[in-house]
Amino acid sequence: MAQGLEIRRSSASLWGEKTGLRKLPVVAKYIDTTTCIGCKACEVACQEWNDLKVVPTRQTGTYQTLPSLTADFWNLIKFDERETRERGFLWLMRKDQCMHCEEPGCLAACPAPGAIVQYENGIVDVDPARCIGCGYCLSGCPFDIPRFDQGTAKMAKCTLCVDRVQVGLGPACVKACPTGCLQFGTKDDMVAMGQARVEQLEANGLAQATLYDPPGVGGTGVVTVLGHGDHPEWYGLPRDPRVPLGVKLWKQVLRPLGMLAIFGSVIAAFGHFMTRGPMATGEDAEGGDA
Amino acid sequence: MATPDLAFERARCAEDTVVGDLIVRHRLSTRVLHWAVALAFFVSLVSGAPIWSPVFGWMAGLMGGLAACRVIHPWAGVLFFVGSVLMFFRWRADMGIEPGDREWFGLKTVRYMDHRELDVAVGKYNGGQKLFFYAAALGALGLLVSGVVLWLPTRYPQLLRMAGIVLHDVTFILFAIAIVFHVYLAAFAEPRTLRAMTKGTVTKGWARLHHPGWYREVVEGRRERG
Repeated sequence: MAQGLEIRRSSASLWGEKTGLRKLPVVAKYIDTTTCIGCKACEVACQEWNDLKVVPTRQTGTYQTLPSLTADFWNLIKFDERETRERGFLWLMRKDQCMHCEEPGCLAACPAPGAIVQYENGIVDVDPARCIGCGYCLSGCPFDIPRFDQGTAKMAKCTLCVDRVQVGLGPACVKACPTGCLQFGTKDDMVAMGQARVEQLEANGLAQATLYDPPGVGGTGVVTVLGHGDHPEWYGLPRDPRVPLGVKLWKQVLRPLGMLAIFGSVIAAFGHFMTRGPMATGEDAEGGDA
Repeated sequence: MATPDLAFERARCAEDTVVGDLIVRHRLSTRVLHWAVALAFFVSLVSGAPIWSPVFGWMAGLMGGLAACRVIHPWAGVLFFVGSVLMFFRWRADMGIEPGDREWFGLKTVRYMDHRELDVAVGKYNGGQKLFFYAAALGALGLLVSGVVLWLPTRYPQLLRMAGIVLHDVTFILFAIAIVFHVYLAAFAEPRTLRAMTKGTVTKGWARLHHPGWYREVVEGRRERG
């Protein structure tokens, strides 16, 4: 949780969620899966900078450090060997971490005021002091990123190194990357860099290359160059991620309607009492206890 | 005339019996069970509402904060469900749907609320009460099943969690509306009703007016229901 950064959105806040006086440029991380060599320096840098616990690993016949992210492991290179009919054998790797959505599903689902915030620069962050450990963010996230820490009973995920970013540094993972497949800057610059790279890939025979910046969640704070962009699921990415329907139904439909119905019935009961009044039992008022 | 103390004594373990001008409607254990479930309901309500919407955020303070709500709410909910099950089996025998009851599911209840309808056939519970009984039992089950999924989100897949959120919401909203009218009818709209759940006894006049069939059964010993 970064103190002093302007807040754009805050979970479960009725009003006054925007603190922004200063306009900050929206930042983004750029990942080029086509130049990633799977060295996992970013994993180590993430663990070191964020002081995360060492997670025991098991050799299961893959280069991948862990089967999936954990509360103590926020940055994971996902390896996938895939045989395809049209493109032959592919060895794919993608850096998995919080995508820092423009419209974060975790934030929408979170019931604790201020436990998940989106800063003016677009970074989505957790305030452990306010997190109540309900796990609704797990249900809200279309990328399966937040992890519940059994020890602290709080949710944990990548912060895009907001503590570094707010003092003008780039995220630790980007700093450690030896190939330059990770870059950090303004969203506009990262998108431009991604588009230029996609054009280069297309010219070099990867006709299906795309820049993954899914519009269903308003775009993400992590833009990813995919060599086989027509199949984001090959990289473990959803084709069209959105804030889940159940969360929207709850917050935008059921909650206002429910409140209207519940308060409406109180008003109806009051109205009945005032217009029809209590029913007489035909007995005298003596001992008129309810 | 019997002294009120005698009626109060009798209401400890006897039910559906006349004591002077009073009739015992609910024996002590039934009343205690009812209030235990009511308490569990309100603890669930006060600890659940601030999680449902920040509009009710002020309620979290009554429970010791929102993090405490997250811990208390599921357990209070389990107690509410267990109590509801006990209540269901205690009252089930009196809640059989009879032909006349179905009319209460419609306009008859509206006319009753308008003070234009008195059903001479009504036994210990009218059709509306029976409907509330079954709806509450179903609601308690729905809240438990969906609540368990929300309680332990890491154990269930995404689709089930979404269904849980929606089911818990819909059931809660319907339940809350039903409880508003339950409380209003018992405590405000129908005088002398609440004492059935506090002292356990009702006046004969009340029984004649609201539950004439039950009145005849208890006072005159005529059993009319098939």
